[in-house]
Amino acid sequence: MGGFDFSNYNRNAALHAKGAPLPKATSTGTTIVGCIYDNGVVIAADTRATSGPIVADKNCEKLHYIAPKIWCAGAGTAADTEFTTALISSNIELHSLSTGRPPRVITCMTMLKQHLFRYQGHIGAYLVVAGVDPTGVGLYTVHAHGSTDKLPYVTMGSGSLAAMSVFESTWKPNLNKEEAIALASEAIKAGIFNDLGSGSNVDVCVIEKDKPTQLLRNFEKPNERGRKERDYRFPKGTTAYLNEKVFTKEDLRKYVTVEEISGDPNLMEVDP
Amino acid sequence: MTSLLSHNPHTNSIGYSFAQPTNAGNTEHSYTDNGGSVLGITGKDFAVLAGDTRSTSGYNINSRYVPKVFKIGGEDETGKDAHILLSVVGFAADGLALKERLDAVVKMYKYQHGKPMGVRACAQRLSTILYQKRFFPYYVQAILAGLDEEGKGALYGYDPVGSYEREQCRSAGAASSLIMPFLDNQVNLKNQYIPGSGEGHALAARKPEPMSRETVEQLVRDAFTSAVERHIEVGDGLQMLVITANGIEEIYHPLKKD
Amino acid sequence: MDQLVRQYTKSPHQNEFYSEQEQHDLTESLPPLSLKFALPPVANHSAFLRAMTDDHSNPNCPIKLAHGTTTLAFRFQGGIIVCTDSRATAGNWIASQTVKKVIPVSRLSRAEDKPGSAPVPGLLGTMAGGAADCQYWLRYLSQQCTLHEIRHKRRITVAAASKILANLTYAYKGYGLSMGTMLAGVTPQEGPALYYIDSDGTRLPGNLFCVGSGQTFAYGVLDANYRYDLTEEEALELGRRSILAAMHRDAYSGGFINLYHVKEEGWVHHGFDDMNPIFWKTKLEKGEFSNVTSAL
Repeated sequence: MGGFDFSNYNRNAALHAKGAPLPKATSTGTTIVGCIYDNGVVIAADTRATSGPIVADKNCEKLHYIAPKIWCAGAGTAADTEFTTALISSNIELHSLSTGRPPRVITCMTMLKQHLFRYQGHIGAYLVVAGVDPTGVGLYTVHAHGSTDKLPYVTMGSGSLAAMSVFESTWKPNLNKEEAIALASEAIKAGIFNDLGSGSNVDVCVIEKDKPTQLLRNFEKPNERGRKERDYRFPKGTTAYLNEKVFTKEDLRKYVTVEEISGDPNLMEVDP
Repeated sequence: MTSLLSHNPHTNSIGYSFAQPTNAGNTEHSYTDNGGSVLGITGKDFAVLAGDTRSTSGYNINSRYVPKVFKIGGEDETGKDAHILLSVVGFAADGLALKERLDAVVKMYKYQHGKPMGVRACAQRLSTILYQKRFFPYYVQAILAGLDEEGKGALYGYDPVGSYEREQCRSAGAASSLIMPFLDNQVNLKNQYIPGSGEGHALAARKPEPMSRETVEQLVRDAFTSAVERHIEVGDGLQMLVITANGIEEIYHPLKKD
Repeated sequence: MDQLVRQYTKSPHQNEFYSEQEQHDLTESLPPLSLKFALPPVANHSAFLRAMTDDHSNPNCPIKLAHGTTTLAFRFQGGIIVCTDSRATAGNWIASQTVKKVIPVSRLSRAEDKPGSAPVPGLLGTMAGGAADCQYWLRYLSQQCTLHEIRHKRRITVAAASKILANLTYAYKGYGLSMGTMLAGVTPQEGPALYYIDSDGTRLPGNLFCVGSGQTFAYGVLDANYRYDLTEEEALELGRRSILAAMHRDAYSGGFINLYHVKEEGWVHHGFDDMNPIFWKTKLEKGEFSNVTSAL
């Protein structure tokens, strides 16, 4: 069966106890939010990924696909949110195939919490799960230790307090789609500007009943970089080198075999 | 559930502990890092000291405008007639205390000797001030700038306990590891050779020349707009102080606020 | 009990501003190179200092001090050669590549050190360990040497100067100073004299010393080629070559080669030269460092 490989666990723990630093995982010190409205749900995220105080990715994607009408926003350890949502996405698809019904948000949330609880918080995934299913609109948060909440508006990540202050001061029941998008975006911007772990752009995902899901990648870009004032291109020959060897296309050709594919190229497509 | 979990990896029976390496003393009580970065470059007849204006603690922004570059030896709060610049990064409270102390010393010197303190004397005095706290250091990296006896730009870089050196350029603080290599390459022209000047080891290195004030200001702005892109503790505003024979000019540029 | 009473009878704002002594120090026209140091408000201040600044025992220490070096000095028939690298490191960070690790001591010599210029009288000190410790205490030492000169109307001997420094470091033993320094000078009483002094309080006279993180590499070359009757040219080249070996193998050494020759009339500066062209010249013209290849 699948799972984690613990073969280096003892070695690494002993090294750590002796003072060797552990490798730093990229964490998405993040702002993510979700908010339901009259006919659906919207989730949003910033796009900064950090490694300590260094910005590792200025425009990463924190909104993850689970099913066509269920999406997830992830905070915490980048790799954990990515792999956990991908795993649950596969299992949800298999589940929906075997039951012959569209997947439910609550099923997804339950699978996530059971998976995370089993690993006692060692999988550092903090998620906002949102979607629409035959039972209605769903919006949940799932913490790395396995606890969950069901609320009309939620925030998570290091910028959650900044974002929540926007919700608490301006949220009202029965928002329409445009209002919900604007509110979620405003909450993310509060995180972007007031939390150092969050920054760059706003990504939004809108899931509405009887409508295709919309992923509004870089819905707002309030932090575009200006032009540099000087030109930093070096003239050719500026860098010293000890020796040179030129590889031509002909030299490389011997490592490459090109084979003609026979038949219909569409045969490779799973979903023609 | 297979045998993977039958051996519980969390027992402490294997003879090691998760205890952190012992931290004698109380780090948290004495110092906090308020982030930010500063940078100084000298020219033939001027010196530039610049710093971002963000003050942070942890993931929070304390303020978007806390200056890190100060005028030393001026008449009053406005810093009129000051002729030396000091920048401090690290723990802001220590930085402020250090600035106040140096300012007092430079003023007393002027009142007692009837002439302003020279940068070289001031640089040596700052070193002894820092060293007085050798066993309870100021948690700061300082840079001092001014014009020397010949009217040339002078810049001195310090470590927290007062070792110092006169340099052409220096960056300190949170993003110093991002800015300093850029300065080495663009100001001191490190790793740049004159194309076609020779084969292999005979290739001649480019020699640094004094730069114009315009070029230096452009380099400073590019250094900071780039540091803001990749360091979370740098941003909000750029305060740039330029010292020339005509006095000190202050220039402010907004930076990204995310 | 007395301590308790004292603690609670102190006026609460007594230490609000500079004390009278401190105000006096501030207004003093000569900045004091004094022995008064602020101590942290904790029971064990050397442990506190170590937690804050010792990169070795605590790699996450918040205050990174400038460290790391290779320095050497040796006596030969023509005087004393003093040679150093120029790198200062703070943890894994190269804080500077242009440190002057040879510090003129005594007479507060203000002479310009141009290569090949006339000899400048006085002692030379070298800097290894904490940069600030060495700079400060060697400055303190030159103050003491100048005072000695004024009081006794003759230059201080290297033995006496080194003793002042060693007494000082011994008095501060355990406080966390970090310095490994060599004092070199030629005096009428002693001839060429070389001493090693460190922050443990050690003081050793000798013919040949290498100090710092790259000392073993320098010793390797120096011991193999050292003779007392080297010519001046040979001695200068041996000093340069030994430092080069250390700069090549020790990550905490590098930058520029700083070379001095101490003679009877005083010290002469023989350059502050980038190691890279010297390295390639040594490799290509003498065939040394053949382990370094550029073959693809």
